[in-house]
Amino acid sequence: MSETAGDPHGSGRRMTLDEAKRYVLDAARARGIAAEVLGSRARELTARSHQQRIEQITQAVQGGIGVRVVVDGRMGYGYSEELSTAALDWMLNEAIDNAHLQTETDKFLPDGTDVGRHDLVGDGLAAPLESKVRTALGFEGTLREDKRVKQVMFASYTEREGDVTLGSTQGAEGAYRRGVAGVMASVVMQEGESLKQSWDADWVRDIRTLDPAHTALDFTQRTGRLLGARPLQTGRYTAYFEPKAFAQLLAAFWPMWSGRSVREGKSRLAGKRGERIASSLVTLIDDPLLADGLATRPFDAEGEPGRPLTLVDDGVLTNFFTNSETARALALPNTGHAARHYRGVVDISPSNFYVKPGAGIRMDTGVIVAEISGVHAGTNSISGDFSVQALGLWAENGEVVYPVENFAVAGDFLTLLMNISAVDAALKWEFMGRMAVGTPTIAVTDLSFAGV
Amino acid sequence: MLTDSLVSDVLAYARERGADFAELYVERWKRRALRVLNDEVKEATSGVEYGAGLRLFYGDEVAYAYTNDLTREGLLEIAQSLTGLKGQGGRVDRRGRGGLDFRKAAPQGLHAPAVPWEEHDKRYRLDRLREGQAGARVAPEIRQVESFMLEWDQEVLVANSEGTWTEDRRVRTRHIVQTVAQDGGEVQTGFYGPGLSVGLELFERFPPREVGRTSGEQAMTNLRATPAPAGTYPVIIGNAFGGVIFHEAVGHLLETTSVAKKASVLSDKIGEQVASPAVTYIDDGTTPHGWGSSEFDDEGMPVERTVLIENGVLKSYMVDRWGALRTGYRATGSGRRQDYTLAPTSRMRNTFIAPSDTPVGNLFEMVDFGLFAKSMRGGQVKPGSGEYNFGTQECYIIRHGRIEEPVRGAMLLGKGPDTISKVVAVANDLATGPGMCGSLSGFLPVEVGQPHVLVSAIVVGGEAPNPAAGSVMR
Repeated sequence: MSETAGDPHGSGRRMTLDEAKRYVLDAARARGIAAEVLGSRARELTARSHQQRIEQITQAVQGGIGVRVVVDGRMGYGYSEELSTAALDWMLNEAIDNAHLQTETDKFLPDGTDVGRHDLVGDGLAAPLESKVRTALGFEGTLREDKRVKQVMFASYTEREGDVTLGSTQGAEGAYRRGVAGVMASVVMQEGESLKQSWDADWVRDIRTLDPAHTALDFTQRTGRLLGARPLQTGRYTAYFEPKAFAQLLAAFWPMWSGRSVREGKSRLAGKRGERIASSLVTLIDDPLLADGLATRPFDAEGEPGRPLTLVDDGVLTNFFTNSETARALALPNTGHAARHYRGVVDISPSNFYVKPGAGIRMDTGVIVAEISGVHAGTNSISGDFSVQALGLWAENGEVVYPVENFAVAGDFLTLLMNISAVDAALKWEFMGRMAVGTPTIAVTDLSFAGV
Repeated sequence: MLTDSLVSDVLAYARERGADFAELYVERWKRRALRVLNDEVKEATSGVEYGAGLRLFYGDEVAYAYTNDLTREGLLEIAQSLTGLKGQGGRVDRRGRGGLDFRKAAPQGLHAPAVPWEEHDKRYRLDRLREGQAGARVAPEIRQVESFMLEWDQEVLVANSEGTWTEDRRVRTRHIVQTVAQDGGEVQTGFYGPGLSVGLELFERFPPREVGRTSGEQAMTNLRATPAPAGTYPVIIGNAFGGVIFHEAVGHLLETTSVAKKASVLSDKIGEQVASPAVTYIDDGTTPHGWGSSEFDDEGMPVERTVLIENGVLKSYMVDRWGALRTGYRATGSGRRQDYTLAPTSRMRNTFIAPSDTPVGNLFEMVDFGLFAKSMRGGQVKPGSGEYNFGTQECYIIRHGRIEEPVRGAMLLGKGPDTISKVVAVANDLATGPGMCGSLSGFLPVEVGQPHVLVSAIVVGGEAPNPAAGSVMR
């Protein structure tokens, strides 16, 4: 007997993801409809420490199933977190209804194969709960050891583990499990009248490689050096983007390489394959199979196996990210970069996206850009414009002289790529949910800084 | 969505095992999204999000769990796992075992849609979006027109161990038109996206053709615009979505999430002058059909109109249950969360600067050289330092009180308390606009609003050299 009252979808027993996948695929086959089902279930544990107590602990399991159907060359989507037969029937009907709305009749589901079942987690997240809680408490403790730390907004340990299962009436079949663990914190530091607030996180695939004490020291050192910042004179300077700052720019502008942007007329890189679009020091790579990569996955959201892809080779544009649809439309190979959350539609996403390390940087005079913010509002991947708030350090003749604040750095991203004058040798990774971005420190000449 | 006895049993289970307070949030959220690009339907999606979040208080410590499994077994499993994590030790309360005496509150339909979803089929929606597309094609340079329609129908139930049982239903509709204009290698964009707590009558309140035209004209303006001059000078911020600057610069600093930890530069300042006397700042969850309105918050409390700053003096913070527990301030019906996956925190609803009697023209007459930021993009703030930034969507140079050439790429930045003390004048033309605000408890629909506002000095990040203007106030 169900205790769910007034449920329009009925209820009945909750199915497993694999059962729901089979149910939907069987129902689609019975109606002669091509369908693809992506199911995922994510488990999360977060312990948040504040003033040496566990202020909040979150434990969760969330999952659901998404379907896309193709009816007479038209595509429609649906999803459900309710895994009852009634809810899945509603989802499939809505998806078919949505498909009928389309005018384009060239949609298709890619032919698939069995790409196997993969476990990328192993015992990477295996540790007693107590030790995970201690990680959060210890992380906060180390942060507070720096006397300039006025407030720790939060310091937490988080782990996320996800199961993904895929199947289609066109033969795609596969599953994988992956997970990450990390510590993150937001602190306010003070010295005299100067206040600085920063947010930082460090993620790993294997909990045994997490080093919260080291992360905390690194974090307070990097935020603390910005205290006592002076205004920056408006002008054009050489910028030295530290990895944390440059990764944010790359994460904002990667859609320039998306086959979808190219196809929809939203990328200024369209039609430029084979041309030089960046300094010859720049090589951009995406590797979905990277060992220890934070966004590593054996296959994409359509079941296409992952493989490394070079997007820019010594400054020359070589490839775009594609999925089955954009590959066909642009007459390019399918690079296996389809991405989908069950609630959404098939799009494109990088996986482990990085700037190949270079020969190193010799610093001269300019602004070391330590942090940028306002990226979601201050960047436009269609026009290439950016204007973002930044914090950093003023350097003269290779020496850091003083920290600088309250200024904006602005320009055009493709011009910036052309003006890259040096690439450092050490790669650092930032985890951004669906993708991971890796970059060394990058030197860019002649950038506009707006201060006082 | 669930029976009394099931909810009661879950809450009682948690109380018996030491929680001081237990709250169950249950949600069924039907969402539809339609994306049209150049008259072609690119995406049509429908879905149901369905889950529950259980929040337990142990003193002011919080334990939170969520699940999509809303069976008795599924809910008791998360209760068991949470109480197991926290261990024993709190007060044990056996009252209400198997039968909490709930005080039930249901919505009165204050924001209920006049034209519900079922009234029209999907074809009707597509036709409206195509009207918007046509409206956006104001010039041959318009190369791309992209429309989105979002329809949300969210049913929530909040029940807690104090006997609260609140049901609410929030229907929201939004229509967005984004345009891309291109002239040679120059590419610029326009954006307009009205949204309200309404049904399909949104298309009557905001005729699609007009929505498209506004977006298209903005893209054309930006195409003609030159890079904004960098430097520090007076800025007139446009009305409606222009209010995002004070949302970022001040609003977030008044949420108890930051205030309770003394991590906001505006902590402990009730009764103090924190802004220019020209500023009265209000957060109103009751605005009829406001994008950020509801009848109850996500903690089951009725929402209210909260005066935050009156004539520059700080009057109230935005206070949720946890914030009230920590600070002693009265809860203001401000507990909000994106969905069942997140515990609520204190958040803004519909926040705006109150209008004065001053005509807009008077503000411009005060400026010799400055920026008119007519339309904004989003922004962000660090409450601990007050530093904020936000992007602009449509800007012009003001010379000798006149609006002159359009400029683009301006980023406005500063420190909230400093900017709000530099408000010279507020006009009489209050308007509001919808946005999505992201913070600890996720992304939420909020309205921001204001009349035109003149700030004496803001750092403007742009690409062009500093105009080296001296004194610019008349």
